[in-house]
Amino acid sequence: MESKSSSPGPRNPHPDAGENPSITATPGGEALALTVLEADQLVAAKRRTRFGRRLITGKEKALLWGLRIYVVAMLIIVLFSVLEALHRAN
Amino acid sequence: MDSSNKRFEVNPIERAHTTAEPAAASAEASKLTGLLTHEDLDRAQDRLEVARARQSGAQAPRFASLRLLWLLVGPGLLVFLAENDAPSMLSYAASGARFGIGFFIPFVVLTFVLGFIVQEMTVRLGAVTHRGHAELIFDRFGRFWGFFALADLAFGNFLTLVTEFIGVRAGLSYFGITPVVAVGSSLLIVVAAIGTGRYWTWERITLGLAIFNGLFVPVALLAHPPWRDVGHALLFWTPLPHGNPYDILVLILAVIGATVTPWMLFFQQSAVVDKGMQPRDIPSGRVDTLLGTVLAAIFAIAVILATEPLFKHGISAENYQAARFAQSLGPWIGHAGAALFALGIFEAGLVAAITISTSSAYAFGEALHTGHSLNRPLREAWPFYSVLVGSACVAAGLVLIPHAPLEFIILTVNVIAVLAMPPALVFLLMLVNDREIMGEYANRKWANLAGVSVTVLLVIAGLGFGVATVFPQLLGQ
Repeated sequence: MESKSSSPGPRNPHPDAGENPSITATPGGEALALTVLEADQLVAAKRRTRFGRRLITGKEKALLWGLRIYVVAMLIIVLFSVLEALHRAN
Repeated sequence: MDSSNKRFEVNPIERAHTTAEPAAASAEASKLTGLLTHEDLDRAQDRLEVARARQSGAQAPRFASLRLLWLLVGPGLLVFLAENDAPSMLSYAASGARFGIGFFIPFVVLTFVLGFIVQEMTVRLGAVTHRGHAELIFDRFGRFWGFFALADLAFGNFLTLVTEFIGVRAGLSYFGITPVVAVGSSLLIVVAAIGTGRYWTWERITLGLAIFNGLFVPVALLAHPPWRDVGHALLFWTPLPHGNPYDILVLILAVIGATVTPWMLFFQQSAVVDKGMQPRDIPSGRVDTLLGTVLAAIFAIAVILATEPLFKHGISAENYQAARFAQSLGPWIGHAGAALFALGIFEAGLVAAITISTSSAYAFGEALHTGHSLNRPLREAWPFYSVLVGSACVAAGLVLIPHAPLEFIILTVNVIAVLAMPPALVFLLMLVNDREIMGEYANRKWANLAGVSVTVLLVIAGLGFGVATVFPQLLGQ
C-alpha cells in the first residue's frame, strides 16, 4: 500500500490566486482548491474510499475483551460506590 | 445527502490509500472538478492561507512563521483549555482546599505530560489519514468494536456535558443570574458558534472564549501564594496528602480524569481533519498541542493556589460547588477575586460544552459516514448539527430539572473518564502503530513506551479504586 513519503516541497498556489482572493471568488477556484488539498482530503474521495479492516490478532482480541470486561466491572463498582455515598449523605 | 455523494454511490467502495500528492496531481483530477463541495472549498481556502504564509517565508521569515503558527494553532489549544472544564477546575479547587500546596501540584503537571503524549498521536493520525478517530476505529476494527468505543464516548460525553452546564449554572449563580437564563444563554452561544458554517470561524470564536480560562491566574495572585512552598512541592512532591485514603484516591482519579479523557482523543483528531491539516503541518500541530498543555497546566495550578487559603484557614470544602468556592474565598481574595473565580467556572463550563458536544457530533458523523464537518452548511449535515445541538440541549435541560441527580453525575464524571480511557488508549496505540495507514508517521519506540506506560498507569489507578471500593478494610476504613 502506498504510504506518505516525506513532506512534499512547498506547493505554489494556482496562478489565478492573485494576492488575497477567496477561492469561490477566484476564476478557476476549483482548480486552485485542488492544488492546495491532498487527493485523499476531498469529500468525494473520502466518500468513495475507506481504509479496510485490519487483522486483529488473538492477543489483541484478548486485550480488547479484557479491557471491555474491566470497563464494565469498574462501572458497576462506580455505581455501587456512588449509591453508597449518596445513601451516606442522606 | 449531497449530490457528490449520490454520484459516487454507484461505485463500490474502494480501498483508501494515504497519499501526500495534491489532488490536482492525482489521476482523477479531471473527474474531481465539479464535484467539490462547500466543505472542500472552505477547507481549501484555509489551506491557501497556509500556503501563502509558507511562500512569504522567503521574504520575512519571522513574520511568516508567526503567521503560520497563528493559522495552524487551534485543535491542541482548544482541547486542553476545554479540558480545564467545570468538573476539572472543581477537582483542582478541591485538592487545593483540602490538601493545600504539596503533592497535587507536581501531580497535575505529570497528568498534563501524560495528556500531551497521547494528544500528539491524534495530531499525526488526523494529519496523515484525514480521517477522524471514530471513523478509523470503525474502518480498521469493524462495527463491533467501533460501537463499543462510540458507546463509551457517548456515555462519558453526555455525563460530562451535564456537569458543564452545572458549572455554567453554578458560576453565574454567584452574580444572581437565574438557572434558566444562565443555561439558556449558554446554549445560544453554542448554537451561535456553529451558525457561521465555517470551521475556522467556529475555532476562533471558541479560542477567544477559551483564553478566559486564564482568569484563574489573577485569582491565584490575589491569594498571595507562598512561592517557596510551590517550588518545594514541584521539586519534592511533598507534603503528601493526609486524611481518608479512599477520598484521596478518588481525588487522584478525578485529577487524572481532569486531563486525560476519551473525548479529547476523538475531538482533537477530528478537529485536525476538519482544519485540513496535512503531514507537513505536524510540527506546528505539536507546538499547538504543547502550547495548550502548558497554558492549561498553568491555569490548573492557579486554581490550586487560589483555593489554598481555605486549607490554610481550616475551612472545610467538602462537597463544595463553584459558587460556594467563590463565596468562601471572598474573605481572602476579595470580592473581585471571588467574582473572577465564579466567572472562570462559567467560562470553563461553556467552552467545554461547545467542544464536547462537537466531539460527540464528529464521532457520530464519522461512525455513520454522514457529513461531519463544521464547514458544511446545515442542509448538508443536519444529522451532525442535530447531534451537536441536541446533546447540548438535553444536557442543559437535565440541569434545570428540579431534584435531578446532579450530585451523582458530578461525583462520577471524572472517575468514569479515567476508567473508560484504557480501551480508548489501546485503540489509539493500535491505530498510530498501523503502518498501513500511517507509513513513516507511525509511532516509534519511545512514543510507544510512553503510550503503554500511560495506559498501564490508568489501569492501575482504576484497579486501585476498584479494590479500595470493594475491600475498604484494606485502606483501614
